[in-house]
This record gives sequence, structure tokens and C-alpha cells, in this order.
Amino acid sequence: MDLEIDSSSFWLFLGQSPPGKPEISKCRSTEKETFSCWWNPGPDGGLPTNYTLTYNKEGNPFTYECPDYKTSGPNSCYFDKKHTSIWTVYIITVNATNQMGSNTSDPHYVDVTYIVEPDPPINLILEVKQPEDQKPYLWIKWFPPTQVDVRSGWLTLQYEIRLKPEKANEWEVHFAGQQTQFKVLSLYPGKKYLVQVRCKPDHGFWSEWGPEGSIQIPDDSTNTDTTMWIFVAVLSVVVCLIMVWAVAMKGYSMLTCFLPPVPGPKIKGLDIHLLERGKSEELLGALGCQDFPSDCEDLLVELLEVVDSENQQPMQVHLKEHPNPRLKPTPLDPDSDSGQGSCDSPSFLSNNCEGSQESPSIFHIPGGIKEPGNPEGNGAHTWDSRSTSVEGRVPYFCADGPKSSTWPSSQPPNKHNPRSSYHNVADVCKLDPGTAGSSATVLDKTDKCSLTSLETTETGGEEKAAEQRWVGSFHSKTDPDTPWLLPQEDTSVISAKPLDYVEIHKVNKDGALSLFPKQEESGNQTEKAGGLKTRMEYSKVARVMESSILVLVQDPPAPDLALFEEPAEEAPPSLSQNQEEKDLAAFAMTPSNYRLAGLDYLDPTCLKHSFQ
Amino acid sequence: MDNKGLSLTGGPYWLVLVLVSSLLLCKNVASVPTCPRGAVNCEVPLGELFDRAVVLSDYLHKLSSEMFREFNKQYAQERRFITRAINGCHTSSIPTPEDKEQAQNMPHEDLLNLILRVLRSWNEPLYHLVTEVRAMREASDTQKALGTQETFAMQEALSTQEALTTQEALTTQEALTTQEALTTQEALSMQEALRTQGTPNDILSRAIEIEDRNKQLLEGMEKIINQVQHGVRRNEAPSPWLGLQFLQKADEDTRLFALYGLIHCLRRDSHKIDNYLKVLKCRIIYDSNC
Repeated sequence: MDLEIDSSSFWLFLGQSPPGKPEISKCRSTEKETFSCWWNPGPDGGLPTNYTLTYNKEGNPFTYECPDYKTSGPNSCYFDKKHTSIWTVYIITVNATNQMGSNTSDPHYVDVTYIVEPDPPINLILEVKQPEDQKPYLWIKWFPPTQVDVRSGWLTLQYEIRLKPEKANEWEVHFAGQQTQFKVLSLYPGKKYLVQVRCKPDHGFWSEWGPEGSIQIPDDSTNTDTTMWIFVAVLSVVVCLIMVWAVAMKGYSMLTCFLPPVPGPKIKGLDIHLLERGKSEELLGALGCQDFPSDCEDLLVELLEVVDSENQQPMQVHLKEHPNPRLKPTPLDPDSDSGQGSCDSPSFLSNNCEGSQESPSIFHIPGGIKEPGNPEGNGAHTWDSRSTSVEGRVPYFCADGPKSSTWPSSQPPNKHNPRSSYHNVADVCKLDPGTAGSSATVLDKTDKCSLTSLETTETGGEEKAAEQRWVGSFHSKTDPDTPWLLPQEDTSVISAKPLDYVEIHKVNKDGALSLFPKQEESGNQTEKAGGLKTRMEYSKVARVMESSILVLVQDPPAPDLALFEEPAEEAPPSLSQNQEEKDLAAFAMTPSNYRLAGLDYLDPTCLKHSFQ
Repeated sequence: MDNKGLSLTGGPYWLVLVLVSSLLLCKNVASVPTCPRGAVNCEVPLGELFDRAVVLSDYLHKLSSEMFREFNKQYAQERRFITRAINGCHTSSIPTPEDKEQAQNMPHEDLLNLILRVLRSWNEPLYHLVTEVRAMREASDTQKALGTQETFAMQEALSTQEALTTQEALTTQEALTTQEALTTQEALSMQEALRTQGTPNDILSRAIEIEDRNKQLLEGMEKIINQVQHGVRRNEAPSPWLGLQFLQKADEDTRLFALYGLIHCLRRDSHKIDNYLKVLKCRIIYDSNC
């Protein structure tokens, strides 16, 4: 038995095999004068394998072998110029051979004409050029790859550049055509740029991107500008901080320096704070009415219409600013008290007031006479109580101008006296000199000042509007029948005398109303001045009847209680705040407490209240 | 290559630049005659002639390359045909330089005449090419329904495959890269599929344009030769083309092979002409210092 062992089987037994089939991967020419081919060797089968490249040329029956296996690296074949023909198809095969066998690749057809891929351009030059009066630009210069023959026109190259700031992600690509330089104008100053160039033959492939060139773009010449802006910014910040600090520290005082507060309306001598503190004496003292009476010419504003009960004619109080001939005395409620002066026709409270001792002057306060009965009763009381009438006393009501800002009409004194907007003062100013010799004026608490609040007595109690009306009109707007209007019909009360006006001079701290004496010789409705100059007299308000009738005391002043009658409806809540107010309430409850005599002064509390 | 002022022409250099740039930019290359028609004594400068010629030859080669590429895509027969197309160009009989040295060693006139001869040799083949491709398109119109369906199916298959690939790619990174490769390939193939949908038209339109440009280049070359050779002309016979019979064979494979050969040879010859003209231009106009 002969065992014949085939050598190949022997090697196969050892796990070795002929080489795998090689494959020609790529052929390239860099200048269209030479070219190279590379192949991928297959598995070598575990044995050293020899590769050979053979080729045929179009139109040439001969087979040639690769002239150069080295130049282009391993597994390559380099065809030099001698062996390269353009416009000729090469048929190339690679043969892998090892001990076991060989293997041949598929033929690869290649025409050098169409495989041209040059090397990248070389000698990249970057320069930032800054011509005068122009923005700086980047000038890029390069050279074609060394081996490409461009001068003879054998190859025509076209170039492409790309650049980006160092940190950017995307390249900015520019086609440069056949030129070998390029200008880039849109640059970010202060940045470092990277530049690359590549080229392409007229009918070939693009080369790889050349080596990176970098260049630093100089900053703008506005460096100094930047510094200046920084300085300006810092300075402004510092200034702002200082201002903020100053405002914080000085605070209000600085504010007042720039924006002085608007002065509120002020009555000379009247201190709001005094009002708030409730010291009416001080208040009135501040007003200048130290004593009652005193010379307060400057405070004289208005005249009140005073009704002379004896005369049964309302004495008109002349309002300084607005003599209103339209005013007609309107009758009060029939049940209302007498002494309702007609606020329509201002007239000085004449001596009738003085003379009318019998019945106190009753000033109807525009607050309205709610209950006709009451005032009547009160009036009767008043009259009755009045032992003395104000003789020779012309009640004057001091009142400030129509503003009656000094007479804060905080609350609608008489809500139930819708008509009153008018001269509360006028109403108040009813004098009934004929009664009882002493007239006590009862001021409705509301009207208390209604000498002011007279105004306030508003429909629905709009103080401010009342004030306005106080100035503006002499007759009640709402209702000609305003009870507070001095009733004409109440003959019992109304004195026969024509209405006269009494000018209110002032109100002193004791709550006395200082009135200017009425001029006897003239029914000077407008000539209060005369009265002003001659003398000043006072009339004390004895009490205020609920119908907002001021009951004046005609007798010389004697400090006494002032009674206030509050209309039942009238119970301003503010009164409760004050003990005096409570007293008022007490008074209201007990009309019997009213005293006519000796009531010289108006209780300042009501004034105070009204001030509030 | 630095653009130097023309040593021979100088003045109309700017005209040349405008012309060259317009020719390069516009696909529809329209000749801008320096001399109005009918002018007798007007002579276009040689540099301008060369520039025009180079632009035309460059464009011709690009058209031929595109036509060849489209033909291969549609019929994908290159591997099959190339083996049979070797040495099959009818112009092979015309001796042409095969490398740079040979081209540089050939004198201007020879090279110019060579170009002229090759160009003339293509007149007839191009004419038949257009005719034949037109006939083929008409023939394929009858099959258009089938072809359209096929194309649509192909597109749908491609898009479906693309979608599936996309879904898979969302999971792994490798799939992503794969997807990118696939989508890129598929995008390209889709694009070309769309383009080749009316391939007969494209080949036909390109064939028609090539025929026109070839005639224009021929005119230009004759003018150049007149100037360079001062009217001395060699009337060398163009190389005959004998492929018509194959082009008109009923056998489609034969026809396709004939068509392939024609387009293949056209691509090569147009490259030759372009190359020679550029060498001549640099040699004559720029004194070999382009």
C-alpha cells in the first residue's frame, strides 16, 4: 500500500489554503501623467502570498506586469510616465499566489483620463491687509501642487477655499475659480481664522483639503473706543448709585426739595392740627379771635340773614360775595319756628335784632327743619327761654369766605335738610330780636358751622357741594320751601322787620359768633363794609334747634352752655366720638334743657365737630 | 495659472473675459461675435477664438460625460460592454497624442488639424445618434406605462426601504451610520432614478445639443486654423464611421452595444479635443505659461 499524500491536501490538513481573491480597490492619477493602483489582498490562506499585477492595454495584445510595486506603498502598483497612456483603457488584474495556489482578481478597466485626483495646493499664505480708509481683509495665496503641469495647460485647475473662526463649527466655503489668490472681506475682528484650500482638475476629482493655515485677525482700532465706553458705563453706574443712596438717606426731604408739596388751602391763623387736637380755644385763638369780640376784619366774609322775630320779618343776611336778588324769603314750614329769616334777600340784621328782645333770633339752619314741631317747640322754648333778647346786638356771624374751608363740613349736618345748600349761615343767622330779649341761636349741630356746614347741609349731605352752593346761591336749590329758609309766613316768629343781614365777623374760640353790627341807616345789603368799620358786635348762639335754627343770645356774652339740638335724624357718628358730642346728644334728648338765657357762645364743640 | 494680458490681443481682453465667463456660467452657450455678421475685414482675435473654443470643448465633454453616465445608469451595461468596446472607436485610426510629451511635441498646425479632423469625423455619427435615440424614445413610449410602473415600484421600494432603515436606525448608533449611508445612496439613486425616468429624453436632448455644439466648435476651429495657418488648409479626410449598421439592428442588445460604443468614444474624443485645445491655447496665446 502506497500512501500518496498530496502536498496540497497536506497543507489543507494543516489549515492552509490558496489565497483569497484579491480585489483592485482604486486607481488614481495625480497629474494625468502617471497613475497608481491599489488592491485589497484576500485572505492569504495562512501562507506567504505573492501578488503580481498584470495589465493589458487597449489595442495592445501584450500583457505587461506592474513596473513598480513600491512607490505607492504596499499592495500597490505605480505606473510611471513611460508606462502611462492617456485615453487608453487599461485592463489590470492582480494575481495572488501562495504555496497552495493562486487566485486572480477580476479585471479592472481603467482609463487614466477619468481618474485624475490631484494633491492639495501647497504653500498657503495668509495675510491680513489693511488698506487706508478701508476695512481690513484677509488675503489668501496658494500654489498648485507641485506635480501638476498647469503652465502648459495639460491640466486646468480650479480652486476652492474654506475658512472659519477657530471655535466655529461650520466652514465658510468660497469657489475661487482658476485664480491662486483670494480676498475675504467679512471677518470677525479679534478672532483667529483657519483656512484650507483644495483643487480640482477640469474633468477630475477634488483633491483633499490642504494643510490648515491659521491667522489672527487684529482687533478693530476702536480699542480706545471700547475703553472709553467702559469708562462711561462705570461712571454712570457710580452716579446712579450715589443718587440712589442720596434719595434713600434724605428721603422725603430731598423729594420736597425737588417737589415741594402743594400747600393746601389755609386760613390765616387756622391750624389744622389744633383742630385735630380738639382744642378749640387754641384754634380760635389761632384764628385770631382771641377774645370775643375782637378785631377780625380780615375774617369777615359774609353776612347772615337774620330774622327778627318781632318784626316777623326775616332779616336777611347779606352774603358778601353773592348778593342774590333772586332770593326770596321762603316760608318755612308752617309749623316751623318763627324767626326763619329769608335767606333770599340779604339784609343786615338790623337793630331789630337788638331790639327784638322778646323773641330770640332764630336762625334757621338750612339743615332743614325736620320736624316742624320741634323747632317750633324749640323755638318756643327758645323764645321762652330767652329772657333777654339780644338787644342791640346784631348777631354777626363770622365766617370765612364762601370757601368755608375753615368750616369743615365733614358730614352732612342735616341729611334731612335737603334744601339747605344755601347759606346755612343765612339760616343760622336768623335773629329774632323780638323774642325774649335774648336770642339764642341754636345752631344745628350740623350747622354749627354750618356757618359753614351750612353749606354742607346738602341734599344727601354733600359737604363740598354744599360749600359751593353756599357761595353760589342764596336760595336753596332743592326746595324753595326749605324749612331753613326763613319763613315768611310764620308771622309769629318772623318779625315784621324787613330782612336784614348780619355779617359774620368771626367765631372765637368760645364758639361765639362774631357778627358785624348792622347798619341802621341803610339796609345795606352790600355794604357790609360800613358795618365793618363802625363796630363789631357779637351774638352768642344760645342753641341750635333741630331745624338748624340758631338761637342767638342777645344779651352780653356770658359764658354759658351752649345747647345744641340735634335733630333726631342728625346723629353724625362723629359726635359720638366726643364727649361733648354726647352732651349734645343729651341736649338733643332733652330739649327741656335748653336755656335761652345766658347762652352767649356757641359751643365750640360743634364747631370743632364741624371742623372735623 | 496667472491670467496675464494677452500679448497678442491686449485690448479686447476684457471682451474675452466677459465672453468666457458668460459661456461658463450659462448652459445655453451663445456665441457673442465680436465681428458682426457680414463684416469682411473684421477679424476676431486669436485669443478670443481660443477662449471660445476652449469653452465649447469643455462644455462638450461635460455633456458627453453626463450622457455616458445616464446611459450606464439606465442600462447598467458598462461592465458588459466595455470588454467589447475596446479599440472600437472609429477615430482610432487617426493618430493622436497619447500623453503629454507627445502632445507637446506635436506642432500647432498638426494638432489643430488633428482636432479638426476628429471633429469632422463626428458629424455623421452624431447625426445618427440623435436619430437613433429619438427612434428609441418613441419605441419606449409605447412601453411607457410599464416603464412608469416599474419606476414607481422602484421608487416605492426605495422609500419603504428608506423608512424601514430609518426606524431601525433610531435604536443603535451603528444603525444610524448605516442609515446615513443607505439614505445617501438611496437619495442619490432616487435622484438619478427620477432623472433617468425620462432617460431617452435626456440622452436625446443631450445628443441634440452635442451635435449643435460640435458644429459650432468646428466653425471656430476653422477660423483658428485660418488665422494660424493663414488660409493654408489641409483637407484631410475624416475617419468614417461604420457603426450605423449596428445601430439600426433589430437586436436590442446589438443596438445598445452600438449606442454604448458611440457614447463611450464620444466621451473620449471630446476629452481629447478639449485637452489639445487647452494645450494649444497655453502654448500659442500664453507661451506655455498659463
